[in-house]
Amino acid sequence: MRNQELAKPGEYKVGDILAVSAAREVQDGEVVFAGTGLPMLAIMLAQRTTAPNACCVYEAGTVDGRPIHLPASVGDARCAYQAAICSGLFDVFSQLQRGVVDLAFLGGAEIDKYGNVNTTVIGNYLKPQIRLTGSGGNPDINSLARRTVFIMVQEKRRFTEACQYITSPGWRVRKFPSGEMAPKQEVYGKFFRGGPSAVITNMAVFRFDAVTGEMYLDTVHPGFTPEDVKNNCDFDLDISRVSGETVPPTYHELELLYKAIDAEGIFLA
Amino acid sequence: MAKPSKKMSLTDAIQMIQDGDMLTFSGFTIWRRPMAAIYEIVRQQKKNLHLVEVNSGTHGEVLIGAGCVKIWESCWIGHELFGKLGGNLARKVMSGELIVEDYSHLHMLLRLTAGAMGVPYLPTAASLGTDIINPEYDILGRTGLRDGSDTRIPRAKYQFVNDTFYDMGTLLHVPAARPDVCIMLAQQVGEEGTVQIWGQKFSDEEAAKAANKLIVIAEEVVPEEYLRQEPERNLIPPYLVDAIVELPWAAHPTGCFGMYEADGAFIRDFYNETRTQEGFDAWAEKWIFGVNNHDEYLEKLGIRRLETLRSNSALKYSSKVKRGTR
Repeated sequence: MRNQELAKPGEYKVGDILAVSAAREVQDGEVVFAGTGLPMLAIMLAQRTTAPNACCVYEAGTVDGRPIHLPASVGDARCAYQAAICSGLFDVFSQLQRGVVDLAFLGGAEIDKYGNVNTTVIGNYLKPQIRLTGSGGNPDINSLARRTVFIMVQEKRRFTEACQYITSPGWRVRKFPSGEMAPKQEVYGKFFRGGPSAVITNMAVFRFDAVTGEMYLDTVHPGFTPEDVKNNCDFDLDISRVSGETVPPTYHELELLYKAIDAEGIFLA
Repeated sequence: MAKPSKKMSLTDAIQMIQDGDMLTFSGFTIWRRPMAAIYEIVRQQKKNLHLVEVNSGTHGEVLIGAGCVKIWESCWIGHELFGKLGGNLARKVMSGELIVEDYSHLHMLLRLTAGAMGVPYLPTAASLGTDIINPEYDILGRTGLRDGSDTRIPRAKYQFVNDTFYDMGTLLHVPAARPDVCIMLAQQVGEEGTVQIWGQKFSDEEAAKAANKLIVIAEEVVPEEYLRQEPERNLIPPYLVDAIVELPWAAHPTGCFGMYEADGAFIRDFYNETRTQEGFDAWAEKWIFGVNNHDEYLEKLGIRRLETLRSNSALKYSSKVKRGTR
């Protein structure tokens, strides 16, 4: 019998509610781009629960793999196990640009109220205080997928009014040559397909206003209040539209995560 | 008449690389990087290299830490789970010792694809609206290197183009990249140079075909006839290959599909120990200068460590390595 009862606070960890909340963003039958880490847990959990026909694409070049051991990276040989296609970057990024990707999971060091994300530098780009990894595929995926979901750490310095460097485009982006901020639709023209649809952190789930493109608080994880979340945002977060508490993991989901998906304890220590 | 052999020693192959050359590599982040060749480049103390790569990883960190690199054009550097950023690149870009030109993943892929196709640029809609295309952040331009004196460096970082075929709006043209040398690590190479790659091909085909010279580090050199029984599985024909070096475990500590796992503990130690230049120098003394060649490197690692990493022949990855906390 699958135990679909909800776990109580203290019976699950931060990583668990992140993975479960992210998994619930996947709709059955979708083509999903996933990066290394929690996104892998999310898509694999979704495939085992509510989205058995979702297809996972990893950016190093595997399509619809059926790993029996959790990959430690998108380039891992485990991604290719029982895959429909094992190709390379040209194949999967071309598919992305062609418009077949419904949903993608991404991360970042810093996010602003329009969902722009920075994974490149802290401080002035021309004289950085801290140099980070750089963009990777984050901006390409965020540009060209229909929906993206960001998994982030909730800290005041990470939820900022405006990113110090826009690595990845949100709902209001730079329009060059002038660099003034403009709606993403205006900059992308006929390539516009959507953008960030949710941000999931250790405290809450956020969504974006369809008109203004601004982030608002949707649900708060058990144990936190909307004010707690607002205090951990540097911008003036809209908490007037909170729809309730985030649904915690079920015992069945926890069992899948710890006994099947990440049995070795790679991302869920 | 017998065809001249392209097989040579690692030392001879790396001597084909000149100071100031533009280089690119096979692989992806911590997978199938030609690490034995990277260590030999450091031993031969190459200088002012210009790396152009779809993404970087542990190999880039070694070259940059060793002071071999002047310019890095790419989109990402780190060690995945085993080191959250590129500590050596970060140190050298913050001190102004390294020129970094940021593109996105798809931009870099298309730059090498254009190079491989023999066209000067390709269009894309990726990463519009970001600071990657902020004209203020064209570092090679700011440094005065887009004046045409180095013919490998394009005169612009990118150009906007209006689509007049289908009215798709404003796209980017990204310039072709044509590296002097690609160093590729392959599982199997035929005696004449036919290259077979197992598992994900990453951006190997584009990197190899964009470059003017191709050095192939092969886990195994096999009879040419063997690879020609199933030509549909092969990636690169012999006429593109300039040097073949046969070296087992040559991607270590990065992983090699069907052969061995990435050595996460080794990469994590590298990341932790090389955050300072003194730390990097000590690490290099131990693992690069402290051994004379690849055989001595493998001996230093020890057979037990390597056997733990060896792939299960059915799964194509190791089933013995401990990866997590359970």
